[in-house]
Amino acid sequence: MITLGLQEKNTFLEAVNKKSGANVLECYQCGKCVSTCPVSGYMDFPPREVMQMIKLGLKEETYMANSMWFCLTCSACSGRCPREIDIPAVMEGIRHLAIEENYHSQDKKVKEITRFHEIFLDMIKRYGRNYELRMMAEFNIRTRNLFKDMHLAPKALLKGKITLGHESTKSAKAIQKMYKLAEKLEKNK
Amino acid sequence: MARVGVFTCFCGANIADFIDVPQVVEATKKIKGVKVSAEYKYMCSDPGQQMIRDAIIQNRLTSVVVAACSPRMHEKTFRKALSDAGLNPYMLEVANIREHSSWVHQKDKKAATEKASDLIRMAVAKSIANEQLHEISVPVTKRALVIGGGIAGIQAALDIADARIPVTLIERSPSIGGRMAQLDETFPTLDCSQCILTPKMVDVASHPYIELIPYSEVIELDGYVGNYKAKIRKKASYVNFSTCTGCGACTQKCPVKVSNEFNMGIDKRKAIYTPFPQAVPNKPVIDAEHCTMLLKGKCGICAKVCEKGSIDFKMVDEVIEREVGAVVVATGYDLWDPKPYEEYGVGRYKDIITSLEFERMVSASGPTNGLPLRPSDGKVPKNVVFIKCIGSRDEAKGIEYCSKICCMYTAKHAILLHHKVHDSHAYIFYMDIRAAGKGYEEFVKRAQVETAATYLRGRVSKIYKKGDKLIVRGEDAQLGQVVEVVADLVVLATAVIPYKENPPLARLLGISYDKYGYMSEAHPKLRPVETAKAGIFLAGCTQAPKDIPDTVAQASACAAKVCGLFSGDTMKKDPMISTINTENCTGCQNCVTVCPYQAIVTEEIPLGHGSKEMRIVAKINEGVCQGCGSCVAICRSMSINLAGFTDPQIINEIVSI
Amino acid sequence: MNKITYFPGCSAHGTSEEFDHTLKLVMKTLDVQMEEIPDWNCCGATSAHVMTENLAIALPMRNLVLAEKLENKTMGIACASCYSRMKVTKKHLDENPNLAKKINSTIIDEGEYHGTIDVKSMLQYCFEEIGLETIKSKVTKSLAGLKVACYYGCLLTRPKDVTHFDSPEYPMSMDLLMEALGAKAVDFDYKTECCGASFSISNTEVVESLSGKILEVAKESGAHVIVVACPLCQSNLDMRQPDIEKHTKTKINIPVMYFTQLMALAFGFPEKELKLPKHIVPVEEALKNIGKIEPEPEKIKKTKKAVEAESEVV
Repeated sequence: MITLGLQEKNTFLEAVNKKSGANVLECYQCGKCVSTCPVSGYMDFPPREVMQMIKLGLKEETYMANSMWFCLTCSACSGRCPREIDIPAVMEGIRHLAIEENYHSQDKKVKEITRFHEIFLDMIKRYGRNYELRMMAEFNIRTRNLFKDMHLAPKALLKGKITLGHESTKSAKAIQKMYKLAEKLEKNK
Repeated sequence: MARVGVFTCFCGANIADFIDVPQVVEATKKIKGVKVSAEYKYMCSDPGQQMIRDAIIQNRLTSVVVAACSPRMHEKTFRKALSDAGLNPYMLEVANIREHSSWVHQKDKKAATEKASDLIRMAVAKSIANEQLHEISVPVTKRALVIGGGIAGIQAALDIADARIPVTLIERSPSIGGRMAQLDETFPTLDCSQCILTPKMVDVASHPYIELIPYSEVIELDGYVGNYKAKIRKKASYVNFSTCTGCGACTQKCPVKVSNEFNMGIDKRKAIYTPFPQAVPNKPVIDAEHCTMLLKGKCGICAKVCEKGSIDFKMVDEVIEREVGAVVVATGYDLWDPKPYEEYGVGRYKDIITSLEFERMVSASGPTNGLPLRPSDGKVPKNVVFIKCIGSRDEAKGIEYCSKICCMYTAKHAILLHHKVHDSHAYIFYMDIRAAGKGYEEFVKRAQVETAATYLRGRVSKIYKKGDKLIVRGEDAQLGQVVEVVADLVVLATAVIPYKENPPLARLLGISYDKYGYMSEAHPKLRPVETAKAGIFLAGCTQAPKDIPDTVAQASACAAKVCGLFSGDTMKKDPMISTINTENCTGCQNCVTVCPYQAIVTEEIPLGHGSKEMRIVAKINEGVCQGCGSCVAICRSMSINLAGFTDPQIINEIVSI
Repeated sequence: MNKITYFPGCSAHGTSEEFDHTLKLVMKTLDVQMEEIPDWNCCGATSAHVMTENLAIALPMRNLVLAEKLENKTMGIACASCYSRMKVTKKHLDENPNLAKKINSTIIDEGEYHGTIDVKSMLQYCFEEIGLETIKSKVTKSLAGLKVACYYGCLLTRPKDVTHFDSPEYPMSMDLLMEALGAKAVDFDYKTECCGASFSISNTEVVESLSGKILEVAKESGAHVIVVACPLCQSNLDMRQPDIEKHTKTKINIPVMYFTQLMALAFGFPEKELKLPKHIVPVEEALKNIGKIEPEPEKIKKTKKAVEAESEVV
């Protein structure tokens, strides 16, 4: 049961609109995004329902759902949206808001997805660039799934598909500094 | 000696593909009386008609049979061809071998061909018994009667009057203006209803060709197209309009307070009142049901304060007559009473109101000076829930049909609410959003995006009270979850229903109405403003729910029809009508009952030649009879003859097969 | 000699070395000098914009600032994902000067952002700036006989107001490019469906389902090879193919090649330059279709076209 009309203003809607630059109110619930989205079947709430939840101000339900984390930003939905809503931007907006407001989904897949992104960003921080094998290994270690994709590794290695080494770039130092400054900027908001 | 010409049409492939036309033409040649039997690809084309004209002249034909499509399509065309060639146009018979044979027997060419031959043989036999007929001329009274002074009646009256045709406009209530006068702003442009309506109302009052009779109703209509006679009852207003200046002193001093119907009962009016400030005519009337002077013979304050002495407590209803050639019916609509929605607590909770009540409240000239207020405590509501389809599309409680205007006015109400109360929020429960009209979808978008109204798809299941709030429970089908909205005010978009007096009015006018009480048009698509009775037209919600643009368009269409009808001094009419053989008529009056057009009356004639005793016989009103033949079929004494379908003609047809 | 600023992207030195290598060969043949941005950094890929706001802008912005310093008109990007990040960032910065100023002044050390450089994918560069006629003129070995399904993925053409390139629903640039090489581009309805992209490692179930469907439709279209312009698409479609085959219990066996590999082949480079052993799904068998149909001689084609044109007039 959802109760509406307790708040005078839908602050959640306003925050999402501001963050994403889109106007969720434009959504008239046609559902074209749902049948376009390649991963709507994996989402707790497909894009159309996410839009409706934002319209109703259901902040927590939106933040705790896996939907926004499953969005691949493929932009197929926004390209077909008859109201031209930038749905991926909305998804991105609620991801960022959830992180800012410290909401953490307990969905196992979401945890793996966010873990991956964290490791990826960590990798860039360390080397300035990304190294696939390290990436895979770290992901497996950190998600306690040591043997995931291990069957691919020998073949991929043998074929030179992925390489063991990594280049050290001059950029690494600059990037590390950027991370720090970016963090500071985010905190100062 | 009959000399019949038969002309069989291929109708492109329509007939030729399924009927062996050459074989039919050959077979036809053998029919007795047939002088010419010919074929052509398109008989209705110019060369086709020329073929008929030439054959008539060359062979001195006495009648013509065209074997082609339905007479509804081209009977007129071929009749003209006959008269162009000097033959009486009613010597034509059409054998419908397309709709009646080729189209319905596409799988059996042999049978279809035989049937076509049969149809032609019958038509030939009939045509031999045809008599020369001549169009009937009916005189026309060039005055129109418009019933109802809402926007439909106003528009129709103005358009007809602008064509310099006198109009009598009658209105039941003390002022014209109708429902539109009650509205605040109108969708989809939000222009002020009064601002666009009042000039038209004033035009009506001052138009040299319009006779406005307010506070009146039609009580009888006799006659037929072009020649109607209407009886109109002018209700006693107890105010002499010719001397009254409309100063308003009487309404101010009157001590009796009555629920104000113009404001949907939100406030009170006096027993002597003008319905609203912009009323036309701007003269008060006395409500006889509530005036203590009229009820008990006490008071009379109004008469005392009237400087002109215009109050007349002795005034009585007056019946006047008008001769008119055409009638436009524009009675308007009523709103459905939502009482059956017990689960919503309608009637129990004061803060559940109808859309028209909301409309009156947000109206600048309304009872709350333009602010929506909770009836329970007079506070300004913040969360307002609008519920659509109250009674509409609800077979259990209300009516089956969609009321058509609620989606749009609810979007308008959401916008108006936001205009009047900036920090309010509108929730709208809906089943569908029907916004088919110019600028309508854009208007709904405005409500959704600019006003940020929350649209929830689902019917509300229950409303209950919690403190001073109303909890509105429904489904949000978009999320598949039940929602409860904490509301300060609930507005019900109640269904549009026909004006309650439609059925008795329809009966006295002799027109038909549907199961709901809407007046029936002659054809749902091709004759939308005509009724089945010639000379009576429909405008606005009297026919079906519709919005202002559609109503105005329909009213203007009625005016065009009236002007067309009045374009000559007489009207031409098909001669195929019934005649009574009074020698045989027993006066049983079965025909009077069965006639759908009320074209048969009775008259008294001497019992015998020179006798002083009288007997009753039926009498056909030529102007009204449409030649349907119902009376011929019901007449037990076989005293009725229908021109063009006489007994010899029908018998000839039957004998020929 | 044309000169462009080149952004290879991280995978060019790993999973998509064959893309980077053949791209360089092809550009040389086409007389284009590629000037690699010195000291470039990762664009942040999906992870940066999913998780952060400022880094998502700052990482690509640093590359844009560095690229502008090389003073070439165009910046060519091999990887579709890098291209998208760079292009989205550029759009943000160009539309919001305040944002550009803010990030520039607080995070980026390498200098001012001016918004002067044009960002294009290498496919877009080939199609728009080099042109099909020039490419055709360099073909020494027609690919006639080879049927290809051109797979564009999401980011080369979407979102339209970012890329301003080709159709977001049914692009044809790569198809036309392949036909210029003599190959036959088949009708392929899944050419812009998502392959699962960044879920490559974190959510393989999704990748296998999405890529599996793309492979199935490509196979049905009768193509010998899927042609791509994105390292992530290539790796999802190629490396995951054995697992997809195992789970769906169907043999797909359709190799996934970069468009530059086929260009190199058509330009006459020997097969060993294509680095075919890097492919998980073997390519060699598919390439044997080349030459099974003789290329249509140019003269006949021209007459045919003239006849067609005439009949259209009629």
